[in-house]
Amino acid sequence: MANPLIQRELVTMLQQRRMLLLQCCVATAFGLLVILRWPTDARMALSGTRSQEVFHLFAYGLLSALLLMLPVFPATSVVRERNSGTLALLLNTPLGSRRIFFGKLVAVMGLAGLLLSLSLPSAAACYALGGISLREDLFAVYSLLTLTALQYSALGLLVSTYATTTDAAVRWTYGLVLLSSVLALGPYQFLQGTESILAEFSDWLRCASPFAALMSLSAAGGVGAVGLISTTDVAGRFTVISLALTIAYSAWTISRLNHTIFDQARDAGEISDDQDLGTRMLRRLVFIVDPQRRSRAIGPFVNPVMVKEFRCRRFGRLHWLLRLIAICAMLSLGLTYATVTGTVDWGVETIGGILVLMQVALLVLITPSLAAGLLSTERETGGWPLLQMTPLSVLRIVWGKLLSVILTLLLVLCATLPGYVVMVYIEPGLRLQVERVVICLFATAGFAMLLSAAVGSLFRRTAPATAMAYAALLAVCGAPLLIWLGRDAPFGHDTVERALLINPVAAALSVIRLTGFRDYQLIPGNWWFLGIGSIVCLLVLIGQTHRISRPQ
Amino acid sequence: MSSEKPAVVIEHLTKRYGGFTALDDLSLSLPAGQILGLIGPNGAGKTTAIKILVGLSKPTTGTARIGDVDCVGDARRIKQLVGYMPDRFGSYDNMRVREYLDFFGAAFGIPRRTRIKRIDEVLETTNTAYMRDKFVESLSHGMQQRVGIARTLLHDPQVLILDEPANGLDPQARIEMRDLLIRLAKLGKTLIVTSHILPELSRICDRVAILTQGKLRAFGTVDEISRQVSQRRTMEAQLASVEQLSAAAVVIRELIEPGAEVIEAPAEAAVRFKTALLEEQLGDVLTQLVQRGMRLTQFREVQTDLEAAFMSFANQKDENPKDTAGGVAHG
Repeated sequence: MANPLIQRELVTMLQQRRMLLLQCCVATAFGLLVILRWPTDARMALSGTRSQEVFHLFAYGLLSALLLMLPVFPATSVVRERNSGTLALLLNTPLGSRRIFFGKLVAVMGLAGLLLSLSLPSAAACYALGGISLREDLFAVYSLLTLTALQYSALGLLVSTYATTTDAAVRWTYGLVLLSSVLALGPYQFLQGTESILAEFSDWLRCASPFAALMSLSAAGGVGAVGLISTTDVAGRFTVISLALTIAYSAWTISRLNHTIFDQARDAGEISDDQDLGTRMLRRLVFIVDPQRRSRAIGPFVNPVMVKEFRCRRFGRLHWLLRLIAICAMLSLGLTYATVTGTVDWGVETIGGILVLMQVALLVLITPSLAAGLLSTERETGGWPLLQMTPLSVLRIVWGKLLSVILTLLLVLCATLPGYVVMVYIEPGLRLQVERVVICLFATAGFAMLLSAAVGSLFRRTAPATAMAYAALLAVCGAPLLIWLGRDAPFGHDTVERALLINPVAAALSVIRLTGFRDYQLIPGNWWFLGIGSIVCLLVLIGQTHRISRPQ
Repeated sequence: MSSEKPAVVIEHLTKRYGGFTALDDLSLSLPAGQILGLIGPNGAGKTTAIKILVGLSKPTTGTARIGDVDCVGDARRIKQLVGYMPDRFGSYDNMRVREYLDFFGAAFGIPRRTRIKRIDEVLETTNTAYMRDKFVESLSHGMQQRVGIARTLLHDPQVLILDEPANGLDPQARIEMRDLLIRLAKLGKTLIVTSHILPELSRICDRVAILTQGKLRAFGTVDEISRQVSQRRTMEAQLASVEQLSAAAVVIRELIEPGAEVIEAPAEAAVRFKTALLEEQLGDVLTQLVQRGMRLTQFREVQTDLEAAFMSFANQKDENPKDTAGGVAHG
């Protein structure tokens, strides 16, 4: 191979034992997916609808697997090299930034190619069933998947050049992947059929999502379409957007790969208490809670682990929490205003749906980043033996850590609640629904936190802990929605309802009676699932903490 | 500084991981207020021994006590008695030094007001007061090591166990670390220190234990260990002129044991020889050299340093370690 990086990166990745495990799991999952949906009756559909149903399900699974598994590799690629010192060595070789970047990109694409090739036998089985065109179905889907892999690999590498830790790189990359692949579909869901600049923008925005493109290829209608025929060439637009973004990300990353990537000055540790009164007052005015003010000693009735968790998080400091809450409150009030002025156009249910989606998206985005590294970060940074050497009990440590997440989530959720109050004021009949939605949201927050913490506790390093926590949460919150997208065609009502039963987003949306979800009866089944799931996760977390605390 | 009652007692400590023996029948004791240097190559069992002492690991057999407290059975009390600094600093992002110490002080249950005072004291002791507002992750390695020691001192433990405190430090920082450890011993703390930097240990340690392959090879003061290594002393006669070198070597060979090693070093105009002669007999050798017209500038014993002793024990294969270390080695 001309570029030595390709060999090193790809071979290193493939030599990992977990990679072998991953490949086996992927191949098995695809096989099972096809077998489970394989026609069992003796009749043969001449139109090929059955085989198309199997193939579309398979394509969805393939895209989801790609989005869940691939981003972690480019996201950690540059930052890991920088932190271990090998990036400096690489930049000192005659390779140059372009060859370094393409070496890494090609290596990740090699991995993506491997994942895709593992799915070929299952795709061939679908093809053998008949009703699927080699060019229009198989080739188109695999081209779309390749473009998606290319775009998100370039994005991951770009994020990796900015991140200072591997877990931060993983968090940001998965956040951006979620934003551009799933959340980008949201605005169109609400604005379709209307004519405005906003509607046009939402139409373009959804075309950035590979899910929208995949749905358009399956010819099962647009994503979340409510009986409206869309003339937009979603797949074509996706191709253009994806290629443009890949080129932009690549150019940006290449421009970052030089000595300036190491130019990060150490913080001088300035304290505003030592500065003059004018500066102090100005800082107080700007920050409300000055981050450079000397903090007070931990109080007598406070769990010190909780305080530590808040203090050592970049966004855990009070001034950041205040900003987060302010943004949430502003969004909530904005929607409240929209509710008051636009109920005739949108309807209270639609506004409620937006609120629910925003809140759940916020929970899914921030909870794994807060909770997944609770134990793994301690183990990775060497803090765990120090904690073990303190008289703090395991339960107090776990409780302190969970408390830091609970309080953050509570603040965020409470800041977004005013919109519901206005909704109930406008339409008092919605009170029971809103109460149920709020229960759903709190249950979701609790479940997301415990699931992330439990999954994260199984890892020694924060990056895989965060990645797996996101994957687990997205699997619960995202995968059933993919099946919901294919409601009526190819999935029936019962299949969709069963899939949605584990989904807290769908439960909240069904309670608020949003179009597309009102036909499903998900409460209290979903609450039972979340409750039992949370208890299991808590037990896993406590058990794992006990295990690593025991003398070896 | 030392009192009669040992601060640390280890008896027949063995730790096995499956078929691998990390620590094999380690026994030693250390009086209070002394510094014990634990040395050995990588994988010798130093960290395993330390982890058992601080309650992070359970021995397969044997016991370890700090004061009257069993390290295995009473891990909770051990945490109050011991200040442990692992070989990794254990940094937390976005925390200033004072906040970092405040957290550990609170975790040890030190009341708020006492804690504030105590943080100032330990920062003063470790000469880190000027770092109090700096972020811990932005500190240099040497600074972090000193903050790490400040952390171990917070709850005023009797025994400090420091794993490789001088590792990765520059010469200046090493001297500062050495002075700090001596200062802590003077405050009455008992210290157990592991290190690969042997000259540092030989200067500060009251006792040294050499471990290889999980076994205690030697235990005692640096002088005692040096003597264990070599029963024969290395002597050096330095001459004013290199021309007398061969003549001096001939005289020495005549007077010392037959077949003993005599080396001529023309570059230094010196003759070195290994001998078991007593002081009086060595005086005779000196007299003879002078009487035969040799112009000597020095006649002295070359000290066997800790490094030589360590290498000697490290090269030993699997001989019976008790020949050198004894059953329970007492300090």
